[in-house]
Amino acid sequence: MGISEVLTVFFGLMIVLPVLYLLFTNNIIRAAFAFVISLLGLAAVYVLLHAELMAVVQIMIYAGGVIVLLIFGIMLTKRVSEAGVFTQHRGVVLGGAVSTVFFLLLVKWILAAGLKWPNVEVSGQDQVRKIGILFLTDHLIAFEVIAFLLLVALVGAAFLAKKSGNA
Amino acid sequence: MTQIPLTYYLILSAFLLCSGLLIVLIKKNAVFVLIGIELMLNAANLNLVAFSKFDPELNGQVFAIFSVVIAAAEAAIALAILLNIYKTYDTSDLDDLNTLKH
Repeated sequence: MGISEVLTVFFGLMIVLPVLYLLFTNNIIRAAFAFVISLLGLAAVYVLLHAELMAVVQIMIYAGGVIVLLIFGIMLTKRVSEAGVFTQHRGVVLGGAVSTVFFLLLVKWILAAGLKWPNVEVSGQDQVRKIGILFLTDHLIAFEVIAFLLLVALVGAAFLAKKSGNA
Repeated sequence: MTQIPLTYYLILSAFLLCSGLLIVLIKKNAVFVLIGIELMLNAANLNLVAFSKFDPELNGQVFAIFSVVIAAAEAAIALAILLNIYKTYDTSDLDDLNTLKH
């Protein structure tokens, strides 16, 4: 077993184990930090898939930005002075059954599809440069639209948060 | 050198998707449900990146980056709304939010 297999299994476990912890825990703060570990594992898997820019984006936006937002959300919507920040469960049996059946069906379909990698070499191109050029040529409209969407979303979020402060 | 099969990444992604679905279904706290939604988005991104591993045009990665941006905007809006709900109803348990009019 080469080093790349060992790393793949290791980072796979680094993704799967925190997610299993997420399913069983009640403590929301602990869940948020377990989610960080899982996101970092995903970034490592992106590197193994030769998607370096995507790995950096994953670390900066998810492990950096979204997690901070989530932890702010937890801290601001619970009285932390209480015994702890806990959640409860509902419909565990039905939900567990639905998602387990769905997972088994997905695995069955994936194995039945039997997809293989194409028999070509990984092109050793400069991905950041290539994606930057793609953004400003082939995907220019999508790029501009998503920039505008991000602006509107962030202004809207700031407006909503400010209004709640005055009310 | 043997390669990690594509199936490995697809099953990992299916696991993430179903865990996210389970969290959305069974957890009562709204922030926890948001974590579940982020997990499902990450499963989609993993699929996109895995499928574009050998694509010289990098279409899958470009799409995944767009989807990350959408996810960040969604998280910001959702938490702003959540703060307003908490200010109004003094709870963030989804089961307690059952009226449209305050």
